[in-house]
Amino acid sequence: MSTARFLKARDIAPWLEELGREYTVLAPTRHGDTVVFREFEPERGIELDRLSTTPAKKALLPPCETLFEYATTKTDTPPYRTSIELRPTLPEGKILLFGTRPCDARAMQIFDRVYDGEQVKDPYYTARRNAATIVTLACSGQAGTCFCDRVGGSPVDATGSDVLLTPLKAGYVAEALTEKGMELMRDTAFMKADGLRQEALNVRNRILEEVPERTSFLDMERNLLSLFGDLGFWDKTAESCLSCGACTYLCPTCYCFNITDEPHGDSGKRIRTWDNCMSSQFTLEGSGHNPRPTKAHRMRNRIGHKFSYYPQLHDKTLACVGCGRCISNCPVSFDIRNAVACAIQHAAANAQEHAHD
Amino acid sequence: MPVLEGKELRIVGFLCNWCSYGGADTAGVGRFAQPTDLRIIKLPCTGRVNPLFVVRAFLNGADGVLVSGCHPGDCHYTAGNFYARRRLEILRELLDVMGIQQERFHYTWVSASEGQKWKQVVSDFTARIHDLGPAAAFSGCPAVPIDMDETGIKAAG
Amino acid sequence: MAHTQELRTLIARELPNLDLVLAWTGGFDPLSSTPLFITTEADLDRLAVGPMHVQNLAAYLPSLKGRKVGIVTRGCDSRTITELLQENLINRDEVVIFGIGCTGAVNIRKVRTAVNGAPVTDVEIGDDVLTVTTGEETHALRLQDVLMDKCYTCAGQAPRMHDHMVSERSGCLATGETPPSSLDLLEGMDARERFAFWEGHMDRCIRCYACRNACPLCVCKDSCVAQSRDPHWVDQSDTPREKLMFQAIHALHTAGRCTECGECERACPMGIPILAMKQALNRRIKHLFDYEAGMDQESTPPLFMFRQQEETIKERDAR
Repeated sequence: MSTARFLKARDIAPWLEELGREYTVLAPTRHGDTVVFREFEPERGIELDRLSTTPAKKALLPPCETLFEYATTKTDTPPYRTSIELRPTLPEGKILLFGTRPCDARAMQIFDRVYDGEQVKDPYYTARRNAATIVTLACSGQAGTCFCDRVGGSPVDATGSDVLLTPLKAGYVAEALTEKGMELMRDTAFMKADGLRQEALNVRNRILEEVPERTSFLDMERNLLSLFGDLGFWDKTAESCLSCGACTYLCPTCYCFNITDEPHGDSGKRIRTWDNCMSSQFTLEGSGHNPRPTKAHRMRNRIGHKFSYYPQLHDKTLACVGCGRCISNCPVSFDIRNAVACAIQHAAANAQEHAHD
Repeated sequence: MPVLEGKELRIVGFLCNWCSYGGADTAGVGRFAQPTDLRIIKLPCTGRVNPLFVVRAFLNGADGVLVSGCHPGDCHYTAGNFYARRRLEILRELLDVMGIQQERFHYTWVSASEGQKWKQVVSDFTARIHDLGPAAAFSGCPAVPIDMDETGIKAAG
Repeated sequence: MAHTQELRTLIARELPNLDLVLAWTGGFDPLSSTPLFITTEADLDRLAVGPMHVQNLAAYLPSLKGRKVGIVTRGCDSRTITELLQENLINRDEVVIFGIGCTGAVNIRKVRTAVNGAPVTDVEIGDDVLTVTTGEETHALRLQDVLMDKCYTCAGQAPRMHDHMVSERSGCLATGETPPSSLDLLEGMDARERFAFWEGHMDRCIRCYACRNACPLCVCKDSCVAQSRDPHWVDQSDTPREKLMFQAIHALHTAGRCTECGECERACPMGIPILAMKQALNRRIKHLFDYEAGMDQESTPPLFMFRQQEETIKERDAR
């Protein structure tokens, strides 16, 4: 898109406050020692200096979403009949997601293939997706745990965003990437600044130059798949894992859910909540059988899904955007980069061994 | 049963089958007038009272919780209330740490013959809870079952 | 460092008799660490010990029952081992304890907050100061200010039991006045404030159960009542109420057992001060039953026993 505008840093808060009338504005704010995406309120401030602790995915996939509410009623006289009334609760209203990082925005497209695909359209997801405008802030550099460059992204990637902000002194150059973005940028908070386009591009190029040359995790679907039967490898990989859900819940691309009915007396609601493949209950069957009984099985699934199964189903796009939250927030500092690199190496070694057979 | 606005509070009672439930029955048979706020849940023994029953009751919106069992030494199962006593003491402390006023929780011993005492326990505890007023609730967490009239769901005719 | 070398030598000597040894190694940056499962002498090269290597490795012991396991342990973590032994969750003859004198355990979260989340390139430990380098900036942090909350109530830096002990260097490096801890804050509140305190913090809980899974005494693991649908202890709604309910479950199931190793709080990715809840409860349990968990292998945890005449409990409304 052609237009570029300038957004002063100090104009952001008043602008978001103003937008709050029309949109549900979600922005990164401090919460204790962490930074979380939540509804913008001026007194909470906004934290754009570092990657948020929680990903932005809750804008499209809330941690807990009511699918419908229900009430049962029983007639007073014989024959006592019970009937049930349902009330669907489709999401309404426009959403503005402000201050996502390129990795988080990119993750939204990973959801799209699943929830807004050719065959299946999830009404709750698509309602939110269509109502959401995503304003992404390009990163000014990579943190120690970042690896977007190794999974097909970059610190300035605009995939999945409606507006891309590039940091300059005292503010941001905003460039619209979609119709929705154009619409948003008509607001008076944005100053005309077509002349700054080149400068923004220069800044982004400088940021890109700083990205180190590293081995990519793309195109490893087959290699990883070849390790499926090698449980010894996964045992070793997962030995320190505590089987908690910090990695999955903080992952911007994890989209698995659980559906439960939560009754209160004669009424209640059916809710969809984030689920966690690192928990043994994730695959526990009604019979008591569990096809993924150990943490090794579950680790194999987590890594396999992100770097092999998903890309095989969806034109080689990895289901990992390299934000590094799973590394920095893991209680045992499990490093998925090492795990994937080891797996690739191990698969290659196995292949060589078989070649000699 | 409907909660009478401003007249009743939610008080949950966990009573052992052998002593206190009998005591409550005795009070009833003796036609001792008592406040009606208490909802009794009968258990085999106070040893069956998982302290989490009490926490769950409070978090679900109870304004007071009363546990009552056999006097120490009189437990139908010999030692149930001895274990309960320790657990409930620790529970009292946990409630305080969680920010639930300790005074909203009480445990006591009432035997099956003590109808008069039961009446006293219920009256005193109910009065205490009324003095304290309704318990604090989490914002966004309804203490009552969702009122379907408000949600717009029509009762099936 | 000399004590690391000494530890390596001790482990190398025992390694042939052991299936594995639990220790630490460096993590993704100079502030982080990760557990090291030593099975060969080559693994020993990666061994590292110090104030940043803070995970309580005893959490792995119950799942390794039946194997011969060595474990590197500091004072607080040894209380976990004692508690596990008291509850017959591990066997003493299957565990070989390599004791180290703790020099203080750094609260990584506090350090990251102090440097405003900037990528850390170097960390140096001086006698009383932690010097953290983030790119071009250096931050000198008073060690006492960035210790884990459990350090402020430390009951001894050396393990309470050991099979081998590193002699080199021990004693907490931090000196000076301790900063106010979450426990101090909590103890200073009235009930209403505490309720608001927990509601505020639980609001950001993501229900990952890292607190539970990192807890060395949460041994139910895959059969936790929090994930049971029947009985329905906790519902799946994303509300502070349900999240606090889980914390109550955790606190009650570890009441009289919790050794305050602080793993729950350390593991929490959202930095919720849940250790304070357990510490506060433990203070009261100490007052009630004169008992502290993990101090004496021969003692019985207070909820595993009773006395007919409880000395410290007012006999409520006895006849």
